[in-house]
Amino acid sequence: MPQYHVKYVFLFLSSALLFSSCVNLKHVTEFSKSAVESVETFETLSSSFSQTCLEDCQSKNIAALNIHQTDCDCSQNEEADRVTALIYHGLQGYFYALTNISDNQLTNYQTDGLTNSITSGNFGSIQVNEADVKSYSNIITLVGRAFTDGYRRNKIKTYISNANQPVQDLLHFLDLNLAGNLKNKLEVQKSSLKNYYFDLVRDKKLSTYERTKFAEDYFSRIQEIERQQNELAAYSKILNSIAEGHASLNSEVEKLSDTELKVALAKYGSQLKRHSTALLKK
Amino acid sequence: MGNLSAEQVKRLADNFMRMANALGDYRYNNIDSLTEEQNIKIKEIHNQQLAATTELYTKSAVLVLEDAQDALGKIDTITTESQELYKKLTNVQGILDRASSVLNLASAILALDVSAVTSSIQELVS
Repeated sequence: MPQYHVKYVFLFLSSALLFSSCVNLKHVTEFSKSAVESVETFETLSSSFSQTCLEDCQSKNIAALNIHQTDCDCSQNEEADRVTALIYHGLQGYFYALTNISDNQLTNYQTDGLTNSITSGNFGSIQVNEADVKSYSNIITLVGRAFTDGYRRNKIKTYISNANQPVQDLLHFLDLNLAGNLKNKLEVQKSSLKNYYFDLVRDKKLSTYERTKFAEDYFSRIQEIERQQNELAAYSKILNSIAEGHASLNSEVEKLSDTELKVALAKYGSQLKRHSTALLKK
Repeated sequence: MGNLSAEQVKRLADNFMRMANALGDYRYNNIDSLTEEQNIKIKEIHNQQLAATTELYTKSAVLVLEDAQDALGKIDTITTESQELYKKLTNVQGILDRASSVLNLASAILALDVSAVTSSIQELVS
């Protein structure tokens, strides 16, 4: 085969490999990074099942004017916190893994060292030409990347589609525990406080000053509980955005480089940032 | 409780809360027509209802584990698999770096450069 034909074959092969291998998954990485960052705002939430249980127990002792033998059994609530944390860690781990494997840098292998190692020159009977060294090195990089990138892309598609249902379920259960069960436990706490303060504020045997103080205490505690409930509501929005974003990623998984998918993921990414900022301000 | 799902227990708790709040509202709205004894009794029952309700929410939260077990198992498997893939893909760079070190050593030997041989060996074993 004449020399120039070989060059064309190389050129064709290189271009074909370049097009098939350079799949930009930046939008997937960006979305999963936002998902990690926003799901981790879980750690900033100021309420928990066991904390609420301890507060309820303390209120009960205060109402009974009791400061002796005030031990509280909050073991079931500690268990509820463990269950909630387990689900949170499951989601956090998945989005970390998705961020790592979709990172373009992962298969952007550096072969500079390899090229520099094979210096051009005359080593006894071996003659090495610098241009050849660079060409071969580039081909090695392209072939290597095409293989690993194609493999990686197919694996990511499989992971995303297999993970979608469990991810949706876990997001739902985390939301059920936080925006459902914990938020409503706080609602019960508000009712219990009203039940306690109602008679004290109305008690005409107490001075106006004392009754006013009780009313002030009541409103300040209600305000604090509502702040915690708002945190949980804001976190619920984060979980919903992640669920929608992952569902959209899953439905377009066959077209990972599709522009519509990129736009949709960018939208969910900025939505997540907005919700996280709102939660951190509360 | 074993046969109820977390969602069902939560719905029960929601209904309990509505009933408890209705009783509480009755007391607050009719306080002037209640005797002291009646007021104390309703207050006590209301309190007990609220305590039972908060316990139900905790039960639901614990039961979530049973319902989420399957999803948790699946997501853990996928996470482990992708972590292994990540390691494999990172290893490719390691292999390339290793190959470069070996080639550095080979070039130095061919060029009979003693100092380069030493530094290449250091690079290889580091």
